[in-house]
Amino acid sequence: MKIVKQQAPFLLALVLLTFGCEQKPKVEPVAEKVTTPDTSNKQQAEITVNPYASVDVSPMDMSYFPVDYPKIKMANANIPPPVARLIYSRPHLQRRALFNGILKYDEPWRLGANEASEINFYKSVTIQGKKIPAGRYIIYGIPHNDKWTIILNSNIDSWGLKQDASKDVGRFEIPVSTNSVSLEYFTMVFEKTDNGADLVIAWADIVARLPIQF
Amino acid sequence: MIKNIFSFAFVLLATFSAIGQSGLPAVDKSPMDMCYYPVRYPNLKAQDKLTEPLAVRVIYSRPKKEGRAIFGGLVEYGKLWRLGANEATEIEFYKPAIIAGKKIPKGRYTLYAIVNEKTWTFIINKETDTWGSFKYSQAKDVVRTDVPVQSQTEPAESLTMVFEKENQNTNLVVAWENVKCALPVSF
Repeated sequence: MKIVKQQAPFLLALVLLTFGCEQKPKVEPVAEKVTTPDTSNKQQAEITVNPYASVDVSPMDMSYFPVDYPKIKMANANIPPPVARLIYSRPHLQRRALFNGILKYDEPWRLGANEASEINFYKSVTIQGKKIPAGRYIIYGIPHNDKWTIILNSNIDSWGLKQDASKDVGRFEIPVSTNSVSLEYFTMVFEKTDNGADLVIAWADIVARLPIQF
Repeated sequence: MIKNIFSFAFVLLATFSAIGQSGLPAVDKSPMDMCYYPVRYPNLKAQDKLTEPLAVRVIYSRPKKEGRAIFGGLVEYGKLWRLGANEATEIEFYKPAIIAGKKIPKGRYTLYAIVNEKTWTFIINKETDTWGSFKYSQAKDVVRTDVPVQSQTEPAESLTMVFEKENQNTNLVVAWENVKCALPVSF
């Protein structure tokens, strides 16, 4: 971090360069519009030539706890297995309002896009006093005005739009707060706490935290 | 020295492009994706159109060509490649599978390749939750198999993986630039 501070102006230039580059228009000889099967993604499907599978508008991503586990493992091959891994897709605002634009209060949301978001616990954990055995779950939420309900469900490898509440494993109510900056992309990440980790769920200026103990 | 400066700049770029507003991770330049057999399994499941259970799932990241020469260039011939970007590519078998005559128990594995001009060597390895191929250990290989390279007329801008059924086999087709390669899997 010391290096980072000393090199701040240089880094800023690099960062600007990086983001600047990503905003360049795509130059492709033959362009064909490919839409993904999910209606929520039709707004701005990638323009590309791909005979097999176009790239999703809402890219998939992975978050581990410990954070950046695969990178840490590069430096230390003997670390114990991770505690959790989350796989989710990252929709972006694209000038839409989060509520009454993308999400509706009191309606279930897949906490992502496309496939149901998946959370894998490599060992048993406790959430709000409830023991969650090690294993794979899907995770979805119900945003309310003043709180969110976060739900773990056993219907894995499913598409996010259709939840089967009969397979819910646990429902947890968590408070929401507002952030000073607005996030363009939906973001979920783990943050270490004294007795485990919070699953931080953030989009636009909304932040919710699900405390997980282990 | 110049090479070192470039490496240093590259690492900084990689680090900083991974951190976005409020310190939370930005979107990856090479987005992650999943492919399944049966193809589009979760969609079929949502539509109650499943005819067979889930057999296999691949999680990989999709670098783009962006005008670069890929095979023999960015992906060097004869060297181990993570078949993706960022985290090591993961293949999960939901039931026992057979590759090159070798029975593979169900479970999660990592998938790599050694790319050459005419053949690719696909490698299934036991070490999961790992980054790229930097700490790859051949001692943890489950199977290696050589597969001929095919050319394709419509080049793929992004690295693409998809399962295709061919007779008794479920091929994992890996396509990028103007080539593709099919790893035969049977169940």
